[in-house]
Amino acid sequence: MPRARNGAARHRKKVRILKAARGYRGARSKQYRTAKDAIFRAGVYAFRDRRARKGDFRSLWVTRLSAACEMRGIGYSRFIYGLKQASIIINRKMLSEIAIDDPAAFDAITEIAKANQAAAAA
Amino acid sequence: MTIGTMPSTMANSASVRSSWHIVDATEQSLGRLAVKIAHVLMGKHKPIYTPHVDTGDFVVVTNVEKLSISAKKLDAGVYPRYTYHPGGYKEIPMRKVFDERPDRVLYEAVRRMMPKNAIGRRMLKKLKLYRGDKHPHSAQQPSPWAF
Repeated sequence: MPRARNGAARHRKKVRILKAARGYRGARSKQYRTAKDAIFRAGVYAFRDRRARKGDFRSLWVTRLSAACEMRGIGYSRFIYGLKQASIIINRKMLSEIAIDDPAAFDAITEIAKANQAAAAA
Repeated sequence: MTIGTMPSTMANSASVRSSWHIVDATEQSLGRLAVKIAHVLMGKHKPIYTPHVDTGDFVVVTNVEKLSISAKKLDAGVYPRYTYHPGGYKEIPMRKVFDERPDRVLYEAVRRMMPKNAIGRRMLKKLKLYRGDKHPHSAQQPSPWAF
């Protein structure tokens, strides 16, 4: 009986790996051995960065809010503290969207924050 | 993003409105001024700030030769240069640079505060430095900066 080898399956695997590595630089997109390592590493980065993305966005909203607060004469930390004292629970994402799309509403929110931050300090 | 989540607003080239600012550098301290300039060039003073888009404004600085820099810093500071020849490391004293090209001192200070990438270099081009009061940007109607 002839010896059975898994040539077709192995070829399919190599094609799958090389397809996933398309567009990588140099040997990493052409050679199976390096491409295999490259897509494994890519997966590790993707897993980590899906989690990191949450923090990336939060820091973006904080930067934006900070800008919106500064132009209204209150610091970011005092603004957040004021809102907390006023029991206003709007998340940073929506606050930053309000700051962009509806400056008048954000003015009002800032005034509330200022009033409550001052009241708590006194 | 999962379905049903509202994406955060991102600026794009169509939505960016960049304006012009003008600052008189007379008696301003180097680092404190550079921080403010870098902030505005990057667009971090706007609620629409978007890291991958240049949302910054233009900054015109006049009277750069009248910056206030302490004598101690002028004597101690050096700008390193490398000529790419062996042993080609050189240091240029800050006092020499400030005397010859005062705009260079402020430019370097701001440059080192900007992101070290392509967009950072592009944003830096919006910084216009001039000795004396004159500048050729009156057509852009720069608004003066209050401190």
